[in-house]
Amino acid sequence: MTATDTKHQRFFAQNNVYLPHIAVIEKIIEETPGVRTFHFNFKDKKLQKEFSFESGQFGEYSVFGIGEAPFCISSSPTHRHHLEFVVQKVGRVTNALHRLGVGAEIGFRGPYGNSFPLDFLKGKNLVFVGGGIGLAPLRSLIWNVIDNRKKYKNIDIVYGARTPADLCFQYDLDAWGKDKSIKFVTTVDRGDESWKGKVGVVPKILEEIAPSAKNAVAIVCGPPIMIRFTFPVLTKLGFTPEQMLTTLEKRMKCGIGKCGRCNIGNIYVCRDGPVFSYAQIKNFVSSEY
Amino acid sequence: MLKDREMEQKLRNEARTLLEQGKVDWIIGFEAGSLKFSTTPLITKDKNDTERLVINPFIVNNLADFLTGIKGRVGIVVKGCDSRSIVSLIQDNKVVREDVVILGVPCTGLIDLSKVEKLTGKYRDELDDITRQGNKVTIRVNGQKKEFPATDVLFDHCLACELPTPKEYDILLGEPSSPIANPLAQESIEKLKQMTPEQRWGAWEKELSRCIRCYACRNVCPACFCQRCFVEETEPQWVFPAPRWQDNLMFQIIRNIHVAGRCTDCGECERACPVNIPLRSLTREMYDIVDELFQFKAGMDKDAPPLLTHYEEEEAEGIFR
Amino acid sequence: MANKKINKKDIAKLLNKWSQEFAVFVPSRESGVAEMAKWDGKDTGFLDWYRNTIVPPKANFLPQMEEMFRFQKDKEGYKIELPPDGAKQLIFGIRPCDARAMAIIDPNFKELYQDPYYLSRRNSAVLVGLGCMNPSESCFCTSMGVSPAESKDVDLMLTDIGDEFLIEEVSDKGRKLMAKTTGLKGATKNDEAKAKEAKKTAYDKVTRKLDTEGIADKLQASFDDEEFWEKIAAKCISCGICTLLCPTCYCFDINDELVRQQGTRFRNWDSCGFPVYTKMPMENPRAEKWRRVRQKVCHKFEFYPMNFDVIACTGCGRCIRLCPVNLDITQVLESVPAKARVRK
Repeated sequence: MTATDTKHQRFFAQNNVYLPHIAVIEKIIEETPGVRTFHFNFKDKKLQKEFSFESGQFGEYSVFGIGEAPFCISSSPTHRHHLEFVVQKVGRVTNALHRLGVGAEIGFRGPYGNSFPLDFLKGKNLVFVGGGIGLAPLRSLIWNVIDNRKKYKNIDIVYGARTPADLCFQYDLDAWGKDKSIKFVTTVDRGDESWKGKVGVVPKILEEIAPSAKNAVAIVCGPPIMIRFTFPVLTKLGFTPEQMLTTLEKRMKCGIGKCGRCNIGNIYVCRDGPVFSYAQIKNFVSSEY
Repeated sequence: MLKDREMEQKLRNEARTLLEQGKVDWIIGFEAGSLKFSTTPLITKDKNDTERLVINPFIVNNLADFLTGIKGRVGIVVKGCDSRSIVSLIQDNKVVREDVVILGVPCTGLIDLSKVEKLTGKYRDELDDITRQGNKVTIRVNGQKKEFPATDVLFDHCLACELPTPKEYDILLGEPSSPIANPLAQESIEKLKQMTPEQRWGAWEKELSRCIRCYACRNVCPACFCQRCFVEETEPQWVFPAPRWQDNLMFQIIRNIHVAGRCTDCGECERACPVNIPLRSLTREMYDIVDELFQFKAGMDKDAPPLLTHYEEEEAEGIFR
Repeated sequence: MANKKINKKDIAKLLNKWSQEFAVFVPSRESGVAEMAKWDGKDTGFLDWYRNTIVPPKANFLPQMEEMFRFQKDKEGYKIELPPDGAKQLIFGIRPCDARAMAIIDPNFKELYQDPYYLSRRNSAVLVGLGCMNPSESCFCTSMGVSPAESKDVDLMLTDIGDEFLIEEVSDKGRKLMAKTTGLKGATKNDEAKAKEAKKTAYDKVTRKLDTEGIADKLQASFDDEEFWEKIAAKCISCGICTLLCPTCYCFDINDELVRQQGTRFRNWDSCGFPVYTKMPMENPRAEKWRRVRQKVCHKFEFYPMNFDVIACTGCGRCIRLCPVNLDITQVLESVPAKARVRK
């Protein structure tokens, strides 16, 4: 088994890997103050039909004149009406993205990176652990799995954020809460007056729920500190390092393994990731993850 | 050179003693470099390393540059210009006087190897020997000796130096030396001043077109201690990150303004530049402008307030309405 | 096929001939620093002073600042346009260390996705190597599998045999070029003997040595030895000189520029030595200087070899000569402990 199943779908503009395709923003959802989901489609209708990607892959999105930044494709390959990505407003390009309105044109290059290994997940119990905006890459996989429900066994989802206002994708949370074939729990680090759900950091809640490690795979996405405390919990529950998957994040520019920036030792997060198993991470020659 | 040997021995003893007695955590000085006629900074906690400390005409680095990045008390070797940098850092509250033991070297000027290379027509590693005796420098090439006046091979900033012997020190390693004050030092700046603005613009375009934005000029400078430099800022992006000559010029102009009142004309920026940009022509001119406008020279008085980041209440009167 | 030779006085004629087909680059100090610059059509004075350039010839294939594409917004939206193709280059006088460096970084631009800008320049260029007769004290090419006066990575190789250069054809491209180049004399057996002697003399002149045996394993073992790396990095000032001017460094940054509704996307040289190189909004994995110094050393001597089977260093010595604090990579590598001192 490998968590780095990579299929290189290449959709080059003008035969040049660095040239973006023109895409148009169709819808903007304000998930939380500072986090927006963008729905977009390619201007080229032929590309819109032919384009394909796998859950876990990312694209390089351009605001022409400001710059380019990587974001995962947060929609599922099973929902091909449009494509989605999620942006937190933290810097130059992300602020510029947040200033765009519906109808604005952006650039898109991709899909890049590897993807979640669906063959490895088939027939297994899946435990999704997400924190804050980390749900973005996960939701692509979760919807992918739900849309192919019969291929997978139990589904557990634990999702948390710092406060109720920081919970993203409320529409997903509502849908998963209603889905009888999923065990779904949300939690917050700190509640407020109207919060009726669980209170506690995600690793702690995960420990309480104690999903079985038998024939299971855990997929963990969130802030580095959440991941750092989640892996030991999963280990305690009997998950082996091969049974834990995550996505790593590093500063990126080219997205295709050439500019050197996103390396961890000899591997490049953009080219060999972003999906890695904990077993692979433990074998990295560098401890910079 | 004999003076250098005596100063060296005194330095090694003092440095060792400072570490042995626990008066400092670190010694920062110079040791022999891995190339001919080179030295390299020695930054150590180990008293045995002090045997490697040297004093010679090639101790170019301004070691005050390392003070803002080190934790603990430091015994530091400085020439006149470097000691002024320490005083300037003290004025800026970046260094606490009690945390440094200043080992002052009375400097008689350092030898500029690019000038030597131009004069001899040889690369530095093709020379056998370079020695200084007072105002003469002897260079031995292929067994043959050539003598030059020292003023021909010393750095411009050494020729212009106003304080070769540290004024602020804890231990002075030798007899004080006097400024050389040679007018040759201002030659390149005078040439620029005699140009018309268009000519000067063209001259700087040529110089800054080869800038590779390595930021060595900024990083060797003790006065540049910002955690995040303006040139690294993206919101807003003050200067374009790529080495377009106009942006390279903007970087130099803004950096000069930022260090105005802190620059001691140690000349390290120009010495460190790998593509030979005459940066001192900018920094020294700024230095002279500061002196002319404010009658202020950086790093002369550790109790004086810093020039551009301090004001007295009376000065604000009438400004805020 | 016997080798040809050319009198040094006739180099200008040869370059002029080649200028009809190529943009010819020669070592030049016109800009104020020694670099490969477009030949002016007459001056061959570089034959007297040239040892090696300060700016490496990688600048001809991965320019310091390079247009990737232009974009323009009209009422129909954005249009993207590629910049026009550049002229074919002929780099005259490239040293074996720099030619090897190009061969070393080629795989990075070829693997997985092809980099069209770099590869089109690389594929259309002709490299005319010039043997280095006067290696510098900082050179250690012979320890990195490079000979100062011999190269398989060029198209033609010139060797100084007194008043003349011996010209050897190394690649098919070189053979093709020589077939078109008339007016050259044939080399005699004496010339060949002189060249062989000159090559050996040049080789023996390289006195700086570096033992790279097992270096990748040693670096791996000492990766988490913070104390070691802090000591090594203490005098580093985090400028970009050793990386920007290294012929085997290739890291780049991508930036957009906008003037009203049109603009350009550029790429430019970048350095892992800069503090902001890996900076993310919430964290910077290499905020500390010692981590950046470790990255640079380990990338060149451990990580790159893991991916491409070759050490990313050719011993050109620029980093040693140009470092403002004389941080010497050969000293760094020699001091790496033979065995791990700390457990991960």
